[in-house]
Amino acid sequence: MTALDAPAAAGAAVRPPRFESARRFARAFLRRRSGIAGLAVLAAFTVLALVAPLFIGPDQLDVTRVNGPLLASPSAHYPLGTDQAGRSVLLMLIYGSRESLRVGVIATLLTLVIGSGIGIVAGHYGGLVGRLLMHLTDWFIALPGMPLAISLAAVLGQGETSITIAIAVTSWTGTARLIRAQTLAVEARPFVERARALGAGHGQIMQRQVLPNVMPLILVSSTLTIAGAMLSEATLTFLGLGDPTSVTWGEMLNQAFFNGAFTADAWWYILPPGLAILLVVLGFTLVGRAVETVLDPRMQERP
Amino acid sequence: MTTRTSSRRINALAAALISILMLLASAAFGPLPASAATQSPPSQSGSTLRVAMDGSGVDTLNPFLAYYNASFDIFGAIYPTLTVIEPNGQPGPYLAKSWTLSPDHLTWTFAIRSGLKWSDGTPLTSADIAWTFNLIMTNPTAGTANGTLVANFAKVTAPNATTLVITTKAPEANLLYISTPVYSIPIVPKHIWASHVANLANYKNTSYPIVGYGPWVLTNYVDNQYAEFDANKDFVLGAPKYDHLIEIYYSNTDAAVAAVRSDQLDYINGLDPIQYKSAQSSKKVSTAQSEGNGWYAVELNPGAKTRSGKTIGTGNPALQDPTVRRAISLAIDKQTLVNKVLDGEGQPGAGYLPPAFSQWYWTPPAGEAQNYDPAQANKLLDQAGYTMGPNGVRINPKTGQPIDLRLGIHANDPSDGSIAPYLVSWLKAIGIQVTVQPMSMTALNSDLGKGDWDMLMDAWTGAPDPTYLLGIQTCSVLPMDDGTGGNTDSFFCNAQYDSLFSKQSTLFDTAQRAGVVDQMQQILYDADVDLVLYYYTVNIASSANVAGLDTGTRNAHGLYPAQNSFWSYLKAAPPNDPGSSSGEVGLWAGLAALVIIVGAGWFFLVRRRSGADDRE
Amino acid sequence: MTVSSVAPGADGVGADAVEAEPVPPPGPGPATAAGRRAPRLPWPGYLGTKLVGAVVSFFVVLVIGFVLFNLMPADPVRTMTRGRPVSPEQMAQLRVQLGLNRPVWARFLSYLNDTVHGNLGYSWQYQQSVGSLVMSRLGPTLLLMGTSFLISVVLGLWLGMRSGWRAGSLFDRLTSGTALALWSVPTFWLGMILLIVFSVGIGPVSGILPAGGMSDPTLSQTGMVHYLDVARHLILPAVTLVLVAYAQYVTIMRSSIIEQLGSPYLLTARAKGLSDAAVRRKHAAPNALLPSMTMIFMQLGLLVSGAVTVETVYSWPGLGYLTYEALKIPDLPLLQGTFIVFSASVIIMNLLADLLYRVLDPRVRAT
Repeated sequence: MTALDAPAAAGAAVRPPRFESARRFARAFLRRRSGIAGLAVLAAFTVLALVAPLFIGPDQLDVTRVNGPLLASPSAHYPLGTDQAGRSVLLMLIYGSRESLRVGVIATLLTLVIGSGIGIVAGHYGGLVGRLLMHLTDWFIALPGMPLAISLAAVLGQGETSITIAIAVTSWTGTARLIRAQTLAVEARPFVERARALGAGHGQIMQRQVLPNVMPLILVSSTLTIAGAMLSEATLTFLGLGDPTSVTWGEMLNQAFFNGAFTADAWWYILPPGLAILLVVLGFTLVGRAVETVLDPRMQERP
Repeated sequence: MTTRTSSRRINALAAALISILMLLASAAFGPLPASAATQSPPSQSGSTLRVAMDGSGVDTLNPFLAYYNASFDIFGAIYPTLTVIEPNGQPGPYLAKSWTLSPDHLTWTFAIRSGLKWSDGTPLTSADIAWTFNLIMTNPTAGTANGTLVANFAKVTAPNATTLVITTKAPEANLLYISTPVYSIPIVPKHIWASHVANLANYKNTSYPIVGYGPWVLTNYVDNQYAEFDANKDFVLGAPKYDHLIEIYYSNTDAAVAAVRSDQLDYINGLDPIQYKSAQSSKKVSTAQSEGNGWYAVELNPGAKTRSGKTIGTGNPALQDPTVRRAISLAIDKQTLVNKVLDGEGQPGAGYLPPAFSQWYWTPPAGEAQNYDPAQANKLLDQAGYTMGPNGVRINPKTGQPIDLRLGIHANDPSDGSIAPYLVSWLKAIGIQVTVQPMSMTALNSDLGKGDWDMLMDAWTGAPDPTYLLGIQTCSVLPMDDGTGGNTDSFFCNAQYDSLFSKQSTLFDTAQRAGVVDQMQQILYDADVDLVLYYYTVNIASSANVAGLDTGTRNAHGLYPAQNSFWSYLKAAPPNDPGSSSGEVGLWAGLAALVIIVGAGWFFLVRRRSGADDRE
Repeated sequence: MTVSSVAPGADGVGADAVEAEPVPPPGPGPATAAGRRAPRLPWPGYLGTKLVGAVVSFFVVLVIGFVLFNLMPADPVRTMTRGRPVSPEQMAQLRVQLGLNRPVWARFLSYLNDTVHGNLGYSWQYQQSVGSLVMSRLGPTLLLMGTSFLISVVLGLWLGMRSGWRAGSLFDRLTSGTALALWSVPTFWLGMILLIVFSVGIGPVSGILPAGGMSDPTLSQTGMVHYLDVARHLILPAVTLVLVAYAQYVTIMRSSIIEQLGSPYLLTARAKGLSDAAVRRKHAAPNALLPSMTMIFMQLGLLVSGAVTVETVYSWPGLGYLTYEALKIPDLPLLQGTFIVFSASVIIMNLLADLLYRVLDPRVRAT
């Protein structure tokens, strides 16, 4: 135990205390208006998604229970009109955020787990293992992402699960690269040397030394990954690989495009889901870029 | 100084990049004029009827191999057949003027029209017909698509140019249906096809104009884009009133409806109710409805078995109990499906054969119809011992398991997706849990064949002759023990049904045959294996300028009986005053685009070059 | 090392995973992408390594393709023959023809053999060889993607140069903001919006552009009329792609220019008395272009696969649309074929990018 405490203490001595750095980070982040805007958008959508079940239930979304006019234009009762089954587009939009965000978040988590796992292992073990893993990453990068995701989702069968898997499998490579490079940098630092000298095993070093130090980077890349994952989810669902009975933004657009909304000039059915995707993706991107700028002193100096 | 060298290199690189792209662009344009050059320059003089191709697309233009509807629409237009389905639904004369049947019901003698010529001028005689049939009978490749239709033929001969004799092994009541436009065997010119027999499996049949005989001549076809035809003004059943026909492929009906509304298309059928309503609201579009020629149904797995009776698959055992199946049937509110899913454009389902083919249409006798009655359904299940479990799902007394059924739906069929939630909610009301599983068509069919299903969505389009649709419910299409050889629709197998199936094929009086077919439909209806949910009305939109597209007559429903592309395109008549082309505006827009693209490239190059000039 | 400052990809996955990669670090140093470990091999050795790498990659693609498309239990025969009167015996015969009854390893061997010989299999849906289908769709895809690629590169680099030079200005904020917003738009949705505004649907200008396809079959298929007709059909899909794609070039060019801003050689140039615009155009831009070029080449590889959704929305008869059509069944041999073609194009372009980098990198040349 003492063997491990020592490097931790040493690390603490090198770096400022955690709270202090967090506060500094927050201050720097707050200075970036675009980041704040992105955060606000995300907060709004998250809150909506969380409270949606409180006021939207089967009565509004179950096609067998709704009684609205089919594909009607916006009115006082239906602020964004209705879909082909007579459901309120506004309520679907709000409820759809749940599934869309969920797929985005889960796919991102999977991506990060795979990507940082492979990245850390590849960075930690140089030699054969590292090279093999990097070759694997390179091979995957050579695969065209969208067609691979489409094929995977098609082969795994319809639904969110296979879409999630398809997204994760096709987008971990970037994270793996990034984390590997960072791992190499971290492992070169003296406190890792010290831990190794004190007899820490591979697992311990990766867990206790490397992981905490690459964590900020993983978080940064997660905001950008999640934006990509949400776009991918929308795209795959739009192409008909989703579950046609679920309510997501991509599914709404699929229904709108392939199921009559176009002919009926139902702009109220086509515009909102796309705008929602745009806002959320933009939100994640803005936050990601802000965080990245704050963490990167080189870019911070510039306006 | 590195600046200068690298900037030069960049310049060279940019030039290389652009030239690569130019090359790509020319590669893209290249094949088009080349393929167009092989055809005769499209004679744009005269009127052109522009119709939407069947959504299935064309699989191949080789009529011996094609399965898809769009292909058969084309064959109906360019190849002749023995008989034709008249607008009233009965077989009538086409190549055959008249026919007689021997007293033993085995030998058919057809009088073939004389004086007809293939589009290349070669005489069309009974020898062509006999040759086509014989090829399908003897050559397995030629029988790929239509071999089953001639399976009962013993011999086909052409004693002289105007006589054709068909001898069947057993009496065959549907013989007049085996060669009709769009639905069954097209006749091909022997003098063209004889040399392709050896390589039939790979023959694409793409030398235009394709030699044939029919209301139209196919002059060009571009994969998944369009097929072009010229009218055959000497056509024996009346000359087409248009000079040209173009079938345009649209991947989704919406785009086609938009095209009709913006006057880029004259005819499309198979609109969904929302498209139909929006088409109705447009002044430039006239609409029509044809009585339902197909249905949507939900199948219940009655216990999948092979031909030898071996149980296969993972079907839920509860569905083997007819009481459960009946309860499910009573729990479904078909009228609501018609109102909500079809927006009223259809009829609640009952009989197996759709109403468009009125001679086979059957409705349950008064008092025997299984109307929506969830209370009765619950009562049946209660009586049969399916007690309600704690969470509102009934327990199967035989297995002790709650009844949880899978419902397989076609993921790319919007109707399946719309129907499924209703089924889930209605069955929940009688204590049966349903899990919807959207699947690709291939995956669903794979599960179906192996018996790995509980409930499946099913949809069929009927044909003038019901033999095939009735046939897929017989025991003889169950799979063998090794899993092969099956083509069953729902693993239904009933001895009485099978004997009626054999019987109807030997009845030559349509009314008699219809009586037997009715009995078969009654058996199917009572078995609750294939629950027909609704017949959807065929919604048609056409340009208001085109007359005569709707050849049917109104019936009691205020609808038109089924018709097919053969008659619609033949009877369609152009407006007296052909309107001006809407292409002009577009051409100018195209020119503008070209200018912008070229301008952008020019800008880029010039900027770079000017930079290079004043560099030193 | 920074996370790429390029936003996630247009179509998500692919764009994100691959496009995000080659964002250059400061200066004309080696890029981050694979195989850039400051190679000092002589040319033949370098070329050989890269070629072997590409071949190995392609083999892996083949294996992945096979595993993927043979995982799924599929019975295409019913789907193929749906609606036609076909007997069970004929269906069994068809299964034999398609080779579905053969063991997996035998199928794998003949698949390898066929693919190496350019035979991509036989489409279930179209009853013709996948190779000929792919070839017939390649032209339209290259036309659409080539056009939009060219325009977005030119537009993106130019805007990026301008806004980087005046970083922080109103112009910069507007440009970067617009680019970022468009970059976050789902491509297919943007296509739908343009379609509803300019083609079908509503608004003052609706109906001026065609709803889909590549040409109007009622017009002549040859000559100037045809070219104009194709150009007219090209407008909407190309504009959609440009709007979504140009942002990445803005971002990359902008940051490269910013990297150059403080460089001594720019001071020297200014000291020579050159105008601001001349310094930008003649000195800053060429140097900033260098890192962009490798990325541009890697983008070329994604060209063919990039337009699945746009081609679907506009019924553009290219490879992406073919993929979508295959997806509906799904037609596994066809999906497999397009997958292999897409992958091969990425591999080839990556190889070219690697070679190009070697040519361009001054430090490598210096040795």
